[in-house]
Amino acid sequence: MRFPFSRYKVYGNSMLPVFKPGQEVLTFNWAHFFSRPKIGDIVVIKVKGKEIVKRIQKLCKDGYFVQGDNAPESTDSRDFGPIDKSKIVGKVIVVVR
Amino acid sequence: MSLAGFLIKLLPVKPVFAHCDIPCGIYDPHTAQLAAKTVLKMVQKINELDSSPAKPDQNDNLTDRNNFVRMVMVKEEHAELCKKEVLILWTDYFKDEHLKKFPNLHDLIWKTTKLCSDNKRMIDEAKAQELIEAVDVIADIFEQTKK
Repeated sequence: MRFPFSRYKVYGNSMLPVFKPGQEVLTFNWAHFFSRPKIGDIVVIKVKGKEIVKRIQKLCKDGYFVQGDNAPESTDSRDFGPIDKSKIVGKVIVVVR
Repeated sequence: MSLAGFLIKLLPVKPVFAHCDIPCGIYDPHTAQLAAKTVLKMVQKINELDSSPAKPDQNDNLTDRNNFVRMVMVKEEHAELCKKEVLILWTDYFKDEHLKKFPNLHDLIWKTTKLCSDNKRMIDEAKAQELIEAVDVIADIFEQTKK
Protein backbone atom coordinates (compact mmCIF):
# COMPACT_ATOMS: atom_id res chain seq x y z
CA MET A 1 0.00 0.00 0.00
CA ARG A 2 1.20 3.47 -0.87
CA PHE A 3 2.17 6.05 1.73
CA PRO A 4 -0.92 8.28 2.24
CA PHE A 5 0.76 11.51 1.12
CA SER A 6 3.23 12.46 -1.62
CA ARG A 7 4.89 15.74 -2.38
CA TYR A 8 5.47 16.64 -6.04
CA LYS A 9 7.10 19.44 -7.94
CA VAL A 10 5.23 20.41 -11.14
CA TYR A 11 7.11 20.51 -14.46
CA GLY A 12 5.41 21.95 -17.54
CA ASN A 13 2.58 24.27 -18.51
CA SER A 14 -0.44 22.06 -19.05
CA MET A 15 -2.06 22.85 -15.68
CA LEU A 16 -1.75 26.62 -15.98
CA PRO A 17 -3.13 28.80 -14.48
CA VAL A 18 -3.80 26.56 -11.44
CA PHE A 19 -0.28 25.13 -11.20
CA LYS A 20 2.73 26.98 -12.46
CA PRO A 21 5.94 25.13 -13.32
CA GLY A 22 8.05 24.79 -10.18
CA GLN A 23 5.11 24.79 -7.78
CA GLU A 24 4.87 21.98 -5.25
CA VAL A 25 1.71 20.06 -4.48
CA LEU A 26 0.65 17.52 -1.92
CA THR A 27 -1.45 14.51 -2.89
CA PHE A 28 -3.60 12.30 -0.69
CA ASN A 29 -3.03 8.83 -2.08
CA TRP A 30 -5.83 7.14 -0.18
CA ALA A 31 -8.51 9.62 -1.27
CA HIS A 32 -10.11 7.21 -3.69
CA PHE A 33 -10.25 4.35 -1.18
CA PHE A 34 -12.99 6.31 0.54
CA SER A 35 -14.74 7.98 -2.39
CA ARG A 36 -14.91 7.68 -6.16
CA PRO A 37 -12.89 10.12 -8.25
CA LYS A 38 -15.11 13.04 -9.19
CA ILE A 39 -15.26 15.41 -12.13
CA GLY A 40 -13.06 18.39 -11.30
CA ASP A 41 -10.61 16.45 -9.12
CA ILE A 42 -6.97 17.21 -9.92
CA VAL A 43 -5.12 13.91 -9.84
CA VAL A 44 -1.65 12.52 -10.30
CA ILE A 45 -1.83 9.57 -12.68
CA LYS A 46 0.71 7.12 -13.97
CA VAL A 47 0.92 6.89 -17.77
CA LYS A 48 3.66 4.93 -19.51
CA GLY A 49 5.70 4.85 -16.31
CA LYS A 50 5.55 8.61 -15.87
CA GLU A 51 3.58 10.49 -13.22
CA ILE A 52 1.57 13.34 -14.68
CA VAL A 53 -0.94 15.77 -13.21
CA LYS A 54 -4.32 16.40 -14.88
CA ARG A 55 -7.93 17.21 -14.06
CA ILE A 56 -10.76 14.68 -14.36
CA GLN A 57 -13.04 16.13 -16.98
CA LYS A 58 -15.63 13.42 -17.47
CA LEU A 59 -16.46 9.88 -16.57
CA CYS A 60 -16.64 7.48 -19.49
CA LYS A 61 -17.78 3.89 -19.54
CA ASP A 62 -14.17 2.82 -20.14
CA GLY A 63 -12.54 5.03 -17.49
CA TYR A 64 -11.79 8.58 -16.49
CA PHE A 65 -11.18 11.22 -19.13
CA VAL A 66 -8.45 13.57 -17.88
CA GLN A 67 -7.31 16.82 -19.44
CA GLY A 68 -4.90 19.64 -18.66
CA ASP A 69 -6.49 22.98 -17.76
CA ASN A 70 -4.26 24.60 -20.38
CA ALA A 71 -5.67 22.40 -23.15
CA PRO A 72 -3.62 23.70 -26.11
CA GLU A 73 -0.42 22.74 -24.30
CA SER A 74 -1.45 19.44 -22.81
CA THR A 75 -1.07 15.80 -23.69
CA ASP A 76 -3.90 13.95 -21.98
CA SER A 77 -6.87 11.63 -22.57
CA ARG A 78 -7.35 13.27 -25.95
CA ASP A 79 -4.13 11.42 -26.88
CA PHE A 80 -3.90 8.36 -24.63
CA GLY A 81 -7.63 7.82 -24.02
CA PRO A 82 -9.54 7.49 -20.75
CA ILE A 83 -7.58 6.01 -17.86
CA ASP A 84 -8.46 3.25 -15.44
CA LYS A 85 -8.97 4.09 -11.74
CA SER A 86 -5.93 1.95 -10.91
CA LYS A 87 -3.75 4.49 -12.77
CA ILE A 88 -4.69 7.25 -10.33
CA VAL A 89 -1.85 7.69 -7.85
CA GLY A 90 -3.43 10.39 -5.68
CA LYS A 91 -5.61 13.44 -5.49
CA VAL A 92 -4.02 16.87 -5.20
CA ILE A 93 -5.19 18.42 -1.93
CA VAL A 94 -2.74 21.24 -1.20
CA VAL A 95 -0.48 23.57 -3.14
CA VAL A 96 2.66 23.67 -1.00
CA ARG A 97 4.07 26.85 -2.51
CA MET B 1 5.44 27.55 9.73
CA SER B 2 2.49 25.40 10.86
CA LEU B 3 2.99 21.82 12.02
CA ALA B 4 1.29 20.55 8.86
CA GLY B 5 3.60 22.70 6.75
CA PHE B 6 6.61 21.36 8.63
CA LEU B 7 5.51 17.74 8.17
CA ILE B 8 4.87 18.30 4.46
CA LYS B 9 8.39 19.64 4.07
CA LEU B 10 9.73 16.36 5.51
CA LEU B 11 8.29 14.41 2.58
CA PRO B 12 10.67 13.74 -0.31
CA VAL B 13 9.78 15.76 -3.40
CA LYS B 14 9.18 13.90 -6.69
CA PRO B 15 8.65 15.31 -10.16
CA VAL B 16 5.17 15.30 -11.67
CA PHE B 17 4.80 16.24 -15.29
CA ALA B 18 2.26 18.64 -16.70
CA HIS B 19 3.53 18.73 -20.24
CA CYS B 20 3.63 16.84 -23.49
CA ASP B 21 6.24 14.33 -24.59
CA ILE B 22 8.48 17.29 -25.21
CA PRO B 23 8.25 20.67 -23.46
CA CYS B 24 5.08 22.44 -24.53
CA GLY B 25 4.48 25.55 -26.51
CA ILE B 26 7.20 24.99 -29.05
CA TYR B 27 4.99 23.92 -31.94
CA ASP B 28 5.07 26.56 -34.64
CA PRO B 29 4.29 26.40 -38.36
CA HIS B 30 6.68 29.26 -39.03
CA THR B 31 9.63 26.99 -39.86
CA ALA B 32 7.54 25.14 -42.47
CA GLN B 33 6.40 28.45 -43.97
CA LEU B 34 9.97 29.74 -44.23
CA ALA B 35 11.13 26.46 -45.74
CA ALA B 36 8.35 26.59 -48.38
CA LYS B 37 9.32 30.17 -49.27
CA THR B 38 12.96 29.11 -49.58
CA VAL B 39 11.92 26.38 -52.02
CA LEU B 40 10.19 28.97 -54.22
CA LYS B 41 13.19 31.29 -54.05
CA MET B 42 15.52 28.49 -55.13
CA VAL B 43 13.22 27.52 -58.02
CA GLN B 44 13.23 31.15 -59.19
CA LYS B 45 17.01 31.40 -58.93
CA ILE B 46 17.51 28.13 -60.82
CA ASN B 47 15.19 29.40 -63.57
CA GLU B 48 17.12 32.69 -63.74
CA LEU B 49 20.38 30.80 -64.05
CA ASP B 50 18.96 28.64 -66.80
CA SER B 51 17.75 31.64 -68.83
CA SER B 52 21.03 33.58 -68.56
CA PRO B 53 23.22 33.49 -71.69
CA ALA B 54 26.16 31.09 -71.83
CA LYS B 55 29.38 32.73 -70.65
CA PRO B 56 32.54 32.62 -72.71
CA ASP B 57 34.78 32.48 -69.64
CA GLN B 58 35.17 28.95 -68.31
CA ASN B 59 35.51 30.19 -64.71
CA ASP B 60 32.13 31.91 -64.97
CA ASN B 61 30.59 28.70 -66.26
CA LEU B 62 32.07 26.78 -63.35
CA THR B 63 30.67 29.34 -60.91
CA ASP B 64 27.22 28.94 -62.48
CA ARG B 65 27.43 25.17 -62.23
CA ASN B 66 28.54 25.43 -58.63
CA ASN B 67 25.65 27.79 -57.87
CA PHE B 68 23.21 25.47 -59.62
CA VAL B 69 24.25 22.51 -57.48
CA ARG B 70 24.01 24.60 -54.32
CA MET B 71 20.54 25.89 -55.23
CA VAL B 72 19.29 22.37 -55.91
CA MET B 73 20.74 21.23 -52.59
CA VAL B 74 19.05 24.08 -50.69
CA LYS B 75 15.75 23.37 -52.48
CA GLU B 76 16.04 19.68 -51.58
CA GLU B 77 16.91 20.39 -47.93
CA HIS B 78 14.12 22.91 -47.43
CA ALA B 79 11.47 20.78 -49.12
CA GLU B 80 12.46 17.98 -46.73
CA LEU B 81 12.47 20.37 -43.74
CA CYS B 82 9.01 21.62 -44.73
CA LYS B 83 7.73 18.04 -44.92
CA LYS B 84 9.25 17.18 -41.54
CA GLU B 85 7.80 20.25 -39.80
CA VAL B 86 4.32 19.68 -41.24
CA LEU B 87 4.43 16.03 -40.14
CA ILE B 88 5.48 17.05 -36.61
CA LEU B 89 2.43 19.31 -36.37
CA TRP B 90 0.27 16.50 -37.69
CA THR B 91 1.53 13.72 -35.42
CA ASP B 92 2.37 15.67 -32.25
CA TYR B 93 0.26 18.82 -32.17
CA PHE B 94 -3.11 18.31 -33.85
CA LYS B 95 -5.64 16.38 -31.80
CA ASP B 96 -9.05 14.76 -32.34
CA GLU B 97 -10.85 17.95 -31.38
CA HIS B 98 -8.96 19.83 -34.13
CA LEU B 99 -9.91 17.17 -36.67
CA LYS B 100 -13.55 17.52 -35.74
CA LYS B 101 -13.33 21.25 -36.33
CA PHE B 102 -11.20 20.92 -39.50
CA PRO B 103 -12.25 17.62 -41.08
CA ASN B 104 -10.07 18.19 -44.15
CA LEU B 105 -6.89 18.30 -42.04
CA HIS B 106 -5.65 14.76 -42.85
CA ASP B 107 -6.19 15.33 -46.57
CA LEU B 108 -4.55 18.76 -46.41
CA ILE B 109 -1.45 17.39 -44.65
CA TRP B 110 -1.22 14.49 -47.09
CA LYS B 111 -1.43 16.81 -50.11
CA THR B 112 1.05 19.27 -48.60
CA THR B 113 3.67 16.61 -47.90
CA LYS B 114 3.13 15.27 -51.43
CA LEU B 115 3.80 18.81 -52.69
CA CYS B 116 7.09 18.79 -50.75
CA SER B 117 8.09 15.65 -52.66
CA ASP B 118 6.93 17.18 -55.97
CA ASN B 119 9.13 20.19 -55.30
CA LYS B 120 12.11 17.95 -54.67
CA ARG B 121 11.62 16.22 -58.01
CA MET B 122 10.72 19.25 -60.11
CA ILE B 123 11.75 22.81 -60.83
CA ASP B 124 8.29 24.27 -61.15
CA GLU B 125 7.38 27.72 -59.83
CA ALA B 126 3.66 26.92 -59.80
CA LYS B 127 4.25 23.84 -57.61
CA ALA B 128 6.44 25.87 -55.23
CA GLN B 129 3.74 28.54 -54.98
CA GLU B 130 1.16 25.81 -54.34
CA LEU B 131 3.31 24.52 -51.48
CA ILE B 132 3.49 27.97 -49.87
CA GLU B 133 -0.29 28.33 -50.07
CA ALA B 134 -0.90 24.85 -48.62
CA VAL B 135 1.47 25.49 -45.69
CA ASP B 136 -0.22 28.85 -45.09
CA VAL B 137 -3.58 27.07 -44.81
CA ILE B 138 -2.09 24.69 -42.21
CA ALA B 139 -0.59 27.67 -40.35
CA ASP B 140 -3.99 29.37 -40.37
CA ILE B 141 -5.64 26.24 -38.91
CA PHE B 142 -2.87 26.10 -36.28
CA GLU B 143 -3.55 29.73 -35.30
CA GLN B 144 -7.27 29.06 -35.03
CA THR B 145 -6.64 26.14 -32.66
CA LYS B 146 -4.74 28.49 -30.36
CA LYS B 147 -7.76 30.82 -29.90
